[in-house]
Amino acid sequence: MKQDNVFLVAAALATLLLAALPALDAPFVQSLALSCLMYAGLAVSWSLFSGPTRYLSLATSAFFGLGAYCTAVGLAHLPWPLVVIAGGLAATLFAFLIGLVVLKLRGAYFAVITYGLGELVKHTITHVEKTWSGTVGRVMTETPSSNVVYWSVLLIALLAVVTYVRFGASRYGHALRGIGIDEERAATLGVNPMRVKLAGFCLSAWFAGALGAAMAVRWTYIDPNTVFNPFIVFQTVLISMVGGPLTVGGPLLGALVFSLLSEFLRLSLPYLYMILLGVLLIVSVLYLPDGIAGHDWRAMCTRVARRWFKAAPAVEPPHE
Amino acid sequence: MNTISRRLSLQAALALAGMLAMPGFAVAQEPTVKVGYTQSRSGPFAGGSQTTQEPNYLLWAEQLNAAGGLNVQGKKRKIELVGVDDRSDMETIVRSYEKFMTADKVDLVLPPWGTGANFAVAPVANKHGYQLVAPTALSQKLVDMKLPYYFVTLQQPKPMMQALVDMLAAHHVKTVTVAYMDDLFGLENIGALEPMLAAKGIKVLDKKSYPLGVKDLSTMLKGMKAANPDAFIGITYPPDNFLVTGQAKEIGFAPKIFYTAVGTAFPIYRERMGKGSEGTMGMGSWNPKMSKAAKAYFDAHVAVTKKEPDRWASAHAWAALEIIQQTVEKVGLDRKAMRDHIAKTEFDTVLGKMKFNGTEEVGVPGMVGQWQNGEFEIVWPPARATAKAVVPKVWN
Amino acid sequence: MNAYLFIDLVVAGLVTGGIYAVVALGLNLQYGLMRIMNIAHGEFLMLGAYLTYTMVRLTGLSPLWFIAPMMLVLFLLGLLLHRLIFRRLAETSPNAEAMEARSLIVGFGLMFIAQNAAQLTWGGGMSGQPYLDQAVHFGEVTVAANRLLVLVVVAAASLALVLVLKRTLLGKAVRGMLQAPLGAMLVGIDTRTLHPACFGLGLALAGLAGGLLSMVYELTPAMGEPYTISALIVITLGGLGNIPGAIAGAVLLGLVETFGMYYTSPSLKILISYGVLVGVLLLRPKGLFAR
Repeated sequence: MKQDNVFLVAAALATLLLAALPALDAPFVQSLALSCLMYAGLAVSWSLFSGPTRYLSLATSAFFGLGAYCTAVGLAHLPWPLVVIAGGLAATLFAFLIGLVVLKLRGAYFAVITYGLGELVKHTITHVEKTWSGTVGRVMTETPSSNVVYWSVLLIALLAVVTYVRFGASRYGHALRGIGIDEERAATLGVNPMRVKLAGFCLSAWFAGALGAAMAVRWTYIDPNTVFNPFIVFQTVLISMVGGPLTVGGPLLGALVFSLLSEFLRLSLPYLYMILLGVLLIVSVLYLPDGIAGHDWRAMCTRVARRWFKAAPAVEPPHE
Repeated sequence: MNTISRRLSLQAALALAGMLAMPGFAVAQEPTVKVGYTQSRSGPFAGGSQTTQEPNYLLWAEQLNAAGGLNVQGKKRKIELVGVDDRSDMETIVRSYEKFMTADKVDLVLPPWGTGANFAVAPVANKHGYQLVAPTALSQKLVDMKLPYYFVTLQQPKPMMQALVDMLAAHHVKTVTVAYMDDLFGLENIGALEPMLAAKGIKVLDKKSYPLGVKDLSTMLKGMKAANPDAFIGITYPPDNFLVTGQAKEIGFAPKIFYTAVGTAFPIYRERMGKGSEGTMGMGSWNPKMSKAAKAYFDAHVAVTKKEPDRWASAHAWAALEIIQQTVEKVGLDRKAMRDHIAKTEFDTVLGKMKFNGTEEVGVPGMVGQWQNGEFEIVWPPARATAKAVVPKVWN
Repeated sequence: MNAYLFIDLVVAGLVTGGIYAVVALGLNLQYGLMRIMNIAHGEFLMLGAYLTYTMVRLTGLSPLWFIAPMMLVLFLLGLLLHRLIFRRLAETSPNAEAMEARSLIVGFGLMFIAQNAAQLTWGGGMSGQPYLDQAVHFGEVTVAANRLLVLVVVAAASLALVLVLKRTLLGKAVRGMLQAPLGAMLVGIDTRTLHPACFGLGLALAGLAGGLLSMVYELTPAMGEPYTISALIVITLGGLGNIPGAIAGAVLLGLVETFGMYYTSPSLKILISYGVLVGVLLLRPKGLFAR
């Protein structure tokens, strides 16, 4: 697996560079990198499960929110690394419990039920908080420094990348891809689909939970509406798809391009950026249907070059 | 033309002028004062932000620049607003303010819309030593954080609820039903309200909560109608206050006093509810009849933004801008000096005298307003009242 | 429980369910026929609401005059969008799952564009123009006239759609495509005309719901989002691509929400509706009316 090694070296270098970012003392660059890393982590961990299996999970917001709530409750009692790990574990536990049942559903049914369960958790937490503690939301005043948050998110994102590569190359990864192609056939070939799917789903949940736990302290006050925000999962799915969820480079590229582009547009065209972003999304699906990373750039370049430098072919090659 | 398209054409014109004038344009001029802020132009906070807050920022800059600029210790400097959309997203809000304060190093920052957003930004501003004077933040917890660079001009739950309860008692209300929203705003207000009602011997016959985005509350209101209270108290937010009012009217739920909290003072409430708005009470603190300054503010708002300001937080947003303006005139743009000046000075604003005790503004008391003949009259406390309360409310 | 209260709750539940049904029908046609996961469906509801509102504001006439022309506008917009985007998408997608995933991203794109355009045109604040908001009394039962109107119109629209599907040749073709897309093509059904038409019809139905809602609720550029979600829930309840199932699912959800809110508290509304969804899908993984 030579290519993998090249990739790991590149990842290590990038990580070192990113880890040194706080030395610049440029809080804006750092927080831009932070949200880029957060979405990179979310998108990579989402693609870990949903890429190969094609199960469109919309539970990411629920995982993220559960992690964030763990921080809100546990921050005063536990050391920081434990808080983050526990946030991830809470999401994993939730993924396990719902996975037992929802992983029997497929396609749009699976998407809708994972979304529904997220909303269910959000409103259950609202209700429980209100009934038991007479308030909604939590204020966190003693929080770790922004550098600590940044390094934590970087570490989780890095872990997600390493896990994606390792898990993908493992027996489980092959089994997941098998399930994505044809679930029944995979089962006849000796794969236990439920066990494999559950493993992938729970693993992917941990990262989203841990990221939620690490990010929660950025906003001082959290309530169910901010941390169980559907915006989070929509953005994650978008990034993964635009990047291409079948290789680890896809969600990473997607997070980088999407975060930087949307931030650049937002700041430079404050009234029109959403329209532009929307047009770019549609164009990207039409012309890069397999994502930035999944696209056959070489073929496209040759085609374009041929069209520009030689006479146009008399007949366009057929599409189908 | 609405405000946004005005801004758009303004931006385009400015860019064009900038390009044309770039080379050789070196007339000695004071540098602009850069003012950074985010407002929600998209997402769930957009309705509140675009009614109450951002129009004031645009009006302020336009008015000052037309008069030569902001007075910085005697020198007039033009204002340059750097306002971006925060998509109602907390992380985007935090990141944008970090950019303003550290990368752009703007001269001033203005706060975002809403309690949650203020919670997120207040510590960041405090850390970088930028003062924020916030009009739309409502939480005792935020006040209790005691951040030295953070100030709120809006009345907090306790004074607002106390004014309401005093008014109820003055009209011999014995029984109420209460509906409130499931969020920090609803819970803090109900938390303040209940002991105050108990202290005046007012009985709560029914108390129900509802979630954000509810579309039908008729069954809840029918239950409350059956309880037949003297007053209805809705700790509501737009658009639920429209829903509650409309449906109360439909089912003929007509207590003596009908109170819906936030958004009742919005002009759109009057437009939407028509005659049904007459007699409804709500949170408010001013109207153009109150003073010359208030009338001037009202007229300028209508002239520039083409819509009326709301009769509650809009003026608090304007007052916050006046406080900054007066502070800069006195002590310049040194942020530490500005903070100290704001903390200890009494200001003359559109809402009268304002001064801060820590984070909280204590000059303007809690008030109750009521729609009467198309104007939102202040009916409580008596010292601030612009009209007598009309009780009982008549639905027509 | 007294009979009046019961009727009250049933009517309220039917109004809610009726709106869900109209929004869901359009989405269900798009999904069932073309595998388009149109996450921007609610945005077309929003556009319908704003267009109706604008016309009412400009002319001072009743909003009912503008509903049909507005639906036509949205139908044409649907044809255009299908021609520009979805046709190519369908041609290049290797399978149904890829189509679903890709159309989802297109949906997000359309959502960003529609919301931003609405905000630039009509402002980010709330607007609204109530119509027929007086109460109508039937003995002890009280309903707002506009809600009743909404109920009548959506019931008529749903019924009409079901009849067209059941009785006409065109409807048979559409049902054929719903059940077996490939088979339908083999027996000579012209998907190249029917697909754009059904996509446009979906938009027109969303617009109908929007036009009706503009009489009842306040408008904001983001008003459509919750309806997209409700529509997704409804069509999952009824079974994807199942038209009568979606109507039944919508009515069921409307009734459960209304009764649930009455017996517990409005706060629990969302818990109840998602509880029903999760329960149904666990018991019947292909929707209530799976064949």
